Amino acid sequence: MKKLLLALLGVGAALTVALPGAFARTEATQAPDAVPGITKNSIVIGGTFPLSGIASLYAPIPRGMEAYFNYVNARRDKKTGQRGIYGRKIVWKYYDDGYNPGQTVQLTNKLILDDKVFATVGSLGTEPVLAVRPLHKKLKVPQVLVSTGASYWGLQYKEYPWTSGWQTDYVAEGRVYARWILQNAASSKIGVFFQNDDYGKDYLRGLKQGLGSRRSLIVSELSYELSDSSYASQLSRLRQSGADTLVLFTTPTPTARAIGTAKAVGWNPKQIVINSVSATDQVMAGAARAAGQAYVNGAISTGYLKNNTNPKYRTDGAIKAYRRIMGKYGPDGININNTFYYYGVAKAYDFVKLMYLAGKNPTRAKLMAATAKMNWVNPYALKGVRIKTSRTDRFPIDQGKVVRYNDGSWTEISALYKGR
Amino acid sequence: MNVVRRNLGRAIGPALFLAAAVLVILMPRFMGEFRLLQFTLVAIYAIALIGLNILTGYSGQISLGHGAFVGVGAYTAALLSLGRPGLEALQLDPPSWMPLGDGMRPIFTIPIAALVTGLFGLLIGVPALRLGGISLALATLAIAVSFPIVMKRFAEVTGGGGGINLNLPETPFGWDISTRHWLFYEAWVTAGIVFLAGWLLTRGRIGRAWRAIRDGEVAAVSSGVNPALYKTFAFGVSAAFAGAAGALLAIETAYVNPDTFPVGISILLLASAVIGGLGSLAGAIFGALLYVFLPIYAQKPPIFSFEFADQAPGVVFGVFLIVIMLLLPGGIAHFFRALVVAARTGRFRRRSRTSELA
Repeated sequence: MKKLLLALLGVGAALTVALPGAFARTEATQAPDAVPGITKNSIVIGGTFPLSGIASLYAPIPRGMEAYFNYVNARRDKKTGQRGIYGRKIVWKYYDDGYNPGQTVQLTNKLILDDKVFATVGSLGTEPVLAVRPLHKKLKVPQVLVSTGASYWGLQYKEYPWTSGWQTDYVAEGRVYARWILQNAASSKIGVFFQNDDYGKDYLRGLKQGLGSRRSLIVSELSYELSDSSYASQLSRLRQSGADTLVLFTTPTPTARAIGTAKAVGWNPKQIVINSVSATDQVMAGAARAAGQAYVNGAISTGYLKNNTNPKYRTDGAIKAYRRIMGKYGPDGININNTFYYYGVAKAYDFVKLMYLAGKNPTRAKLMAATAKMNWVNPYALKGVRIKTSRTDRFPIDQGKVVRYNDGSWTEISALYKGR
Repeated sequence: MNVVRRNLGRAIGPALFLAAAVLVILMPRFMGEFRLLQFTLVAIYAIALIGLNILTGYSGQISLGHGAFVGVGAYTAALLSLGRPGLEALQLDPPSWMPLGDGMRPIFTIPIAALVTGLFGLLIGVPALRLGGISLALATLAIAVSFPIVMKRFAEVTGGGGGINLNLPETPFGWDISTRHWLFYEAWVTAGIVFLAGWLLTRGRIGRAWRAIRDGEVAAVSSGVNPALYKTFAFGVSAAFAGAAGALLAIETAYVNPDTFPVGISILLLASAVIGGLGSLAGAIFGALLYVFLPIYAQKPPIFSFEFADQAPGVVFGVFLIVIMLLLPGGIAHFFRALVVAARTGRFRRRSRTSELA
């Protein structure tokens, strides 16, 4: 027993000696002018995406981006004659957060502290991006071109100057559907099915804003949770409400399921409206399998990118370039028609443009300044869409067209609208 | 000779605890910021797993709802640390009867969150008395499933699906250590306290009563143990620990959101408790190490073929669980204990007494 006590005392003494040293600050000391993630020949960037779980349909996005970055690293720039961006190769790191904001926080910390990225690019999901927005602000790390259309990114640039959006925002898109319904089916009775979070509610708010005094056209609005295992009760109630127009403000997998369930409960709405996030060929193919091709034909949505599977674009230069890039630099054995690869490539294109705009000696502050000076044409976007921001307009993409689904592809049926 | 052996055997527990404490104190010297963050999370999940271990490993009741308890703790800490003014600044509108205060230092929310979650656990414990085995597992699963939905429903308090952004963590009291180190020590000191509390609870009369109930309720009753009392108490303690973990998690990530606590978290917690070793407090540490590190290491996409990588983290975790359960039916903690016993007696026992629970 005495020996044990002695040993304890010894350990205690050792601790007292070790403690002060252990508490010392160990934050990495860096050369004052070094920019994290930027070296003479590389730019390290990263992002978080749901590669698994409920939202894993989005998994191709970072891989599409990867293919485009590989292409940029391999090609010689026409103006500078250098590979990569001013001779710097893009190192792209992405992790699977499973669409769980808690994971996003941990993995974004990993990207910033461990991988020492220059910026996070294209991280996906409204809640996951919200979860790490204050972190980017505190550490002054750019969070650019996030893959979510919540209106926060464009509206709150003063509170969160280190975050920037990309795609058309959901509120604006909701207003476009309202306008289309008022113009084409003014007597319809609308039933809305939406995801019960900021994503779905942003859309719903836009729809109501757009309907204005005709808001009473909405006869029923019901929501679902990501964890719901069946939508049968909601869709039966939508049907019983007498609605003849089904408006879906849902994420991809739930969209296909909701359409299948609508058919199963015996509801044949005259018109189906699907938000642009979910209006992809994969979702529509899934919905067609569940409810039949005739059921989904004629569905309405909006788009700001070219539909890479539409026969109309078979000879389009950008689509041909996309196929070439994915074929050479993309993962093996993938379905190149998957729209989410295309989305990734389109986004990566804009990031590369942004880096050029940030200059030969980019800093984090210069990159953020560049996000307020975007002004170019993205060849992967619809003709006429301009990627444009200014000091007071932080919505890079705010134009698009109404599209209609028919037998496997989306066709543009309206002139270019401006959402903001 | 025998006396020495016996005393050595008794000293091994405290010695390991001290060694672990020294290791934890020295760790920040050798680690980058991200490693430290991961080890902070290890402490946090170890706390939750000690709670779960008390419930499942000691008192023999299975809970698939511990993610919800962690969530209750996290929301309690978030609401209290912001207080009414902080919540109103976020454009939330909590009803006036809620005692939210004017915001407090995050560290003080930890014991309160433990208390609130503990009371919640007691409430759950009462109906749980009538359920056992698989029915109890299902009842607690229902809590885990409904937690995110309930949090979204009361959006005027919880911020709904958008969640609540807390103030980013800072070192309090003007102490001159980096915030990352502060969070690390805060979590590990709490873990140490919880570990000691768990040890004191499980080694004495209460622990004996729990084990008696676990191993045979009828026998326990006939030796004068009141199962209703002890089972409910186990639920309360277990939930309180999970609540403390939740509070630390909220402070660490500075964000709470219903989807941070999906049902999968609860299942993963139980799986980690089993892998770590049921009926052993040290097992909670092993479980927490797995909980934090395995999903990250399973992450380096692309692994194997492309389609497979989509689900890889889950698959790797699952395969690991199966392999460990086949090789070490008592979990990692029992494996080490069996090694120590084997060193003394020359006989290696693969199974532990609690392994049939798994």
